[in-house]
Amino acid sequence: MPHLDAAFNYARWLTKSDADAEDVVQDAAVRALRFFSSLRNDDARAWLLTIVRNTWNARFSRVGSADEHMVLDDMKDDRPDGQLDAEALVIQRQTVERVQRAIETLPTDFREVIVLREIEGLSYKEIAAVAGIPIGTVMSRLARARERLLALLGPDLARGGIGDLS
Amino acid sequence: MICPDVERLIDAYSDDELDAAQATGVKAHVATCPTCHQRVAERAALRRLIRGVPYYAAPSRVRRAVVAIRRPARVTPRRLALAATVLLAVSVGTGAVVRTVRARQAATATLAQDVVASHVRALMGAHLFDVRSSDQHTVKPWFQGKLDFSPPVEDLAGLGFPLVGARVDAVGGRPVAALVYQRRQHTINVFIWPAADTVGALADARSFRGFQVRHWTRNAMALWAVSDLNDLELDQFVRALQP
Repeated sequence: MPHLDAAFNYARWLTKSDADAEDVVQDAAVRALRFFSSLRNDDARAWLLTIVRNTWNARFSRVGSADEHMVLDDMKDDRPDGQLDAEALVIQRQTVERVQRAIETLPTDFREVIVLREIEGLSYKEIAAVAGIPIGTVMSRLARARERLLALLGPDLARGGIGDLS
Repeated sequence: MICPDVERLIDAYSDDELDAAQATGVKAHVATCPTCHQRVAERAALRRLIRGVPYYAAPSRVRRAVVAIRRPARVTPRRLALAATVLLAVSVGTGAVVRTVRARQAATATLAQDVVASHVRALMGAHLFDVRSSDQHTVKPWFQGKLDFSPPVEDLAGLGFPLVGARVDAVGGRPVAALVYQRRQHTINVFIWPAADTVGALADARSFRGFQVRHWTRNAMALWAVSDLNDLELDQFVRALQP
């Protein structure tokens, strides 16, 4: 099935669990293969992601997810003494972990637009279709999600070298 | 443009979602305003950071499970058809003719659903071809030993419908030949199996879930064509196959 990776990636970010993501993707695949009435070739990926989202929505209650207001408390730099190369690698790995955790701490509504836009590269129109929200909401959620991430990841951004605009 | 305008549009600008006029306005402002320039730079840097996070590709276990889903789904419409026919035969008590006609209509409708389902599965499952060739003299012999009949294979490239490949598929529980033709971006699947009927006329034309379906018999073969192509062009295609 095409776009299976995209389906899994999206489900994994929604559920934050490998096992749950597997369940959601398998259920979604069953639905996708049975109810193909709205299938169009040009937006098969957005269509499949929409089914993933609906499946996840039906399966997992979204009430009171404890993660929504979690604070990033253990972000302190605890690099070990070692050779320089190893140190650089560790720093890089820690950056990736911090970014990953920062995205995971976003409320689901914000997290999904970030994943769909920055990782999957969907257009606003496609995101609106998948998440079932107006395009204006896509834009405002992206703006607020980015403000949060910028606040959480300030030091990493500085290290990542702000300034080389393309 | 002034800062508040730009601030409002900065995300859409970073995402390349502004129209040309707005994008030009933002760009001009960003070139002269250090604060807004910083905002654009932050978004670019954030994007790089996010893209550095590992991608969760589907594990092979999920891949296998999804491929396995396709098999049992094929059985269900067949069983439903059988149940529907039996129910029909029982409930329609009067008139053997009416009964036969209705049963045949029901069977045709079920087959139409089946071929559309096969068409969609082939496109979604990325299993469109067992043999990829535009040469009818490669495709026709390829079916030998795979089916208990030899389907007619014609390349219609000269008429704007090139043959691109073939596979063995299943419709209504029986193995059938599936020929794949292309028209621009549209795929046409032609399903073929032996039929008792030898009438050469178009037996059925319908649209089902947005797909055009045509059914006819020719030289003791049942043929079904399915595509998302518009009905005029699909009729053209069917006429090309029925000289």
